[in-house]
Amino acid sequence: MNNRNTLFFWFKLILKRDLALSFKKIATFLIPLVFFLIVISLFPLALGTENSFLSSLSPGVIWVAALLASLLAVESIFNEDFRDGTLDHFLLSGEPIFILVFAKVFAHWLVTGAPLLLASIISTFFLFLPGGLVLPLLVSLLIGTLLLSLLGAFGSALTIGKTAILSAVIVLPLSIPILILGVAIITSAINNQDYLSYLYFLGAMLAVGIPGLCLATVEAISINYD
Amino acid sequence: MGSPPFFFEWASRLLPWLFPISFLILMIGLVWGIGFAPSDYKQGDVYRIIFVHVPSAILGQSIYLMMAIFGSICLIWRAKLAGMFLRSAAPLGASFTLIALISGAVWGKPTWGTWWVWDARLTSTLILFFLYVGIIGLYSSIDNKQRGDRAASLISVVGVIIVPIIKKSVDWWQTLHQPSTFSLTSSPSMTADMYLPLLICVIGFYFIFVSLLCNSLRAEILTRERNTGWVRKYLNNKASG
Repeated sequence: MNNRNTLFFWFKLILKRDLALSFKKIATFLIPLVFFLIVISLFPLALGTENSFLSSLSPGVIWVAALLASLLAVESIFNEDFRDGTLDHFLLSGEPIFILVFAKVFAHWLVTGAPLLLASIISTFFLFLPGGLVLPLLVSLLIGTLLLSLLGAFGSALTIGKTAILSAVIVLPLSIPILILGVAIITSAINNQDYLSYLYFLGAMLAVGIPGLCLATVEAISINYD
Repeated sequence: MGSPPFFFEWASRLLPWLFPISFLILMIGLVWGIGFAPSDYKQGDVYRIIFVHVPSAILGQSIYLMMAIFGSICLIWRAKLAGMFLRSAAPLGASFTLIALISGAVWGKPTWGTWWVWDARLTSTLILFFLYVGIIGLYSSIDNKQRGDRAASLISVVGVIIVPIIKKSVDWWQTLHQPSTFSLTSSPSMTADMYLPLLICVIGFYFIFVSLLCNSLRAEILTRERNTGWVRKYLNNKASG
């Protein structure tokens, strides 16, 4: 207990707690994944099953499904802790809220974002995306879902105690650059063009987004506790 | 300036002048533009919708910027009036953006042949409209007025940082729209008899915005401060006089 005062101790503690809570309930990590696959399979049902048509649509379809799946799951980041009072206790403890936000976002990404990466591999078979494109798809989704978790945490902190649809309306317009860049990475990989420049831009957004959006989330939480 | 009673006094004295002046400027601009400016050699008379379209698009963007500035004032100094400004400006900004979208669609039909094109500037204007709706939805869902102000301030400040990124990413599509009409650094690309009425229209739209803003700010101040002494006194004077 000597290292109680280090920030990393709190980070590990919150992360462990959140992961333990999530894995106790199968719904928290399985439902977004299944939701993602359901949305993916709606597109062939609605648009027809011609292979080349579907594979040309697949980057956009996969990204839109990832966006929806990760944003629908953000409601759980702060709302449950807000309802049962855990959030109040943490704020009363006097520890920096930043570390709480940071750990919560990372836990949320581990529980919903990382399984999406696995599910996206399955979805490439559904949508006949050529096998060589799995790497750009995974890398773009890796950075993109991290960014979406950050944005989602900000939206859910702003709308603590409100419905998830409100935070989706606020956050979805802000996530458009992520969508455009993510799709641009995969489409330029399909056309054998250089996709690294888009990837660098997305990475730069993540580098700015981690401190920037975490700070904004901290501010959004403290608005609720004036 | 920052105190609501002072601003209320000031706005009440200014408004009887502000509305007629705004209408006068707007009328001069619109009548000149629609009635007397020469018609375009390519588009004919259709282009005259520019006198509504461009001012409202400019307003839609600059109101968002103003909201971010007042939002940071609200967050940093907790100025009450800045939060009220945000609440009064957001519906106006959304309306101007909607006017820009609709007038653009009406202009696009005869010139491009469609009501809507997924072009960079149209798309970012549409996204701007969605951002406005998000802000309005956020503060109207929060019962506590002060918290609503600060939440709306925060989302407008974060939004104004992300808007350039949205614009940049949307620009990566090919652009069909004509380049901007106004530029601060280069001389106008249209003749003075088209340019001047447009400029007057833009100024008139700004004046209309300020008048409408003062008007709804007054209402917001009265509602918010209805339990304070000065509002009671004001209302009693109104009722008796």
